[in-house]
Amino acid sequence: MKMEEMSLSGLDNSKLEAIAQEIYTDLVEDSCLGFCFEVHRAVKCGYFFLDDTDPESMKDFEIVDQPGLDIFGQVFNQWKSKECVCPNCSRSIAASRFAPHLEKCLGMGRNSSRIANRRIANSNNMNKSESDQEDNDDINDNDWSYGSEKKAKKRKSDKLWYLPFQNPNSPRRSKSLKHKNGELSNSDPFKYNSSSGISYEALGPEELRSLLTTQCGVISEHTKKMCTRSLRCPQHTDEQRRAVRVYFLGPSAILPEVESSLDNDSFDMTDSQSLISRLQWDGSSDLSPSDSGSSKTSENQGWGLGTNSSESRKTKKKKSHLSLVGTASSLGSNKKKKPKPPAPPTPSIYDDIN
Amino acid sequence: MNKDAQMRAAINQKLIETGERERLKELLRAKLIECGWKDQLKAHCKEVIKEKGLEHVTVDDLVAEITPKGRVDSSMNFNTCLDSCSYHYNQALVPDSVKKELLQRIRTFLAQHASL
Repeated sequence: MKMEEMSLSGLDNSKLEAIAQEIYTDLVEDSCLGFCFEVHRAVKCGYFFLDDTDPESMKDFEIVDQPGLDIFGQVFNQWKSKECVCPNCSRSIAASRFAPHLEKCLGMGRNSSRIANRRIANSNNMNKSESDQEDNDDINDNDWSYGSEKKAKKRKSDKLWYLPFQNPNSPRRSKSLKHKNGELSNSDPFKYNSSSGISYEALGPEELRSLLTTQCGVISEHTKKMCTRSLRCPQHTDEQRRAVRVYFLGPSAILPEVESSLDNDSFDMTDSQSLISRLQWDGSSDLSPSDSGSSKTSENQGWGLGTNSSESRKTKKKKSHLSLVGTASSLGSNKKKKPKPPAPPTPSIYDDIN
Repeated sequence: MNKDAQMRAAINQKLIETGERERLKELLRAKLIECGWKDQLKAHCKEVIKEKGLEHVTVDDLVAEITPKGRVDSSMNFNTCLDSCSYHYNQALVPDSVKKELLQRIRTFLAQHASL
């Protein structure tokens, strides 16, 4: 290579420019040639005209520019008025509400089981206070959705009262709770109105009871609200749950979990003992069932009425949330479950609040 | 003139050796697609193909249509002359910005290797 003879610096600019132009032209030619080969191959292989559409299809999919229509030519609110028939309950539902309805109807959504359980619990409570027993039994045997529909028709007025508890986790709940003016016996200092959690000062005793039968209910120290998680929520211990129930509902309250080990054998024997042990929630800890039997007989009489009514409820349904027997059997049959101290030591937490 | 030819050959060789030619080619290809030059040519090709019939198009036809220099051979006739005139049109289709940038890069390259 004779590069030393040819030195580019010796050339004038015009020549350099000419060379540059030539190089550029060569490059463009190469690109063109390459492009020709591509096109020719596409033609021969048959895919050259693939991205073209025929004029008929072009007309079909033309962009629509009329007022009131979107670019596909569809009307805006078309699906709001349409109604679909639910395959499960054969009701005609509005299209925009169809998916949530199916979720509840089939029992397959996130909240459907909670709501169903709560409804059953509430309807059971209402059933006890009403006198048309037999009809309800028949209804309960059927599909729950049919049963709830019938109940819904009967008790529309109850629904209004029932409203705060329908969706504890939906945003609607906060509005209904805000407007409620119920009283709680010992909750004056707590005037919280924010939407997460449940502010218990607005709830009446009946509502509280039903709430506590399905939710954890332990009052958080930071927010002073009841925990809305399930009865077995890992953040709170059973002891805390019991304490909350006792705190709100009096010494007759019972932890709903206890009924899983429900045992009716020791019903009569340990009943009084359990009552007495329950009464000691306000001060003493380390209570054992044997100690309580001797000293508190007078108080036992005072609570006699309360126990009688709950007993009658108990015979009706095995899984009554508020029955005393649950605690009785738990105390009697402590071997089955993990032994818990009968009196909650946690009232001391609430001393701070009070 | 021999010197010029030799010089051009040498420069080309340098371009290829350093890989600059490939880089320039890629750059040009990308820029032409970006500015839509390829789409314009494609539309032009479509017309040619529809004219000549899909089955009978040859590479020569396309090349004659598109590349700057039409084929000059024994079968050259009036049509082919016209076709080769289209090269100006195609070259004119390349936007000025692309042309300038490429020329700039070539000049830079030449300046870098001037002393060699």
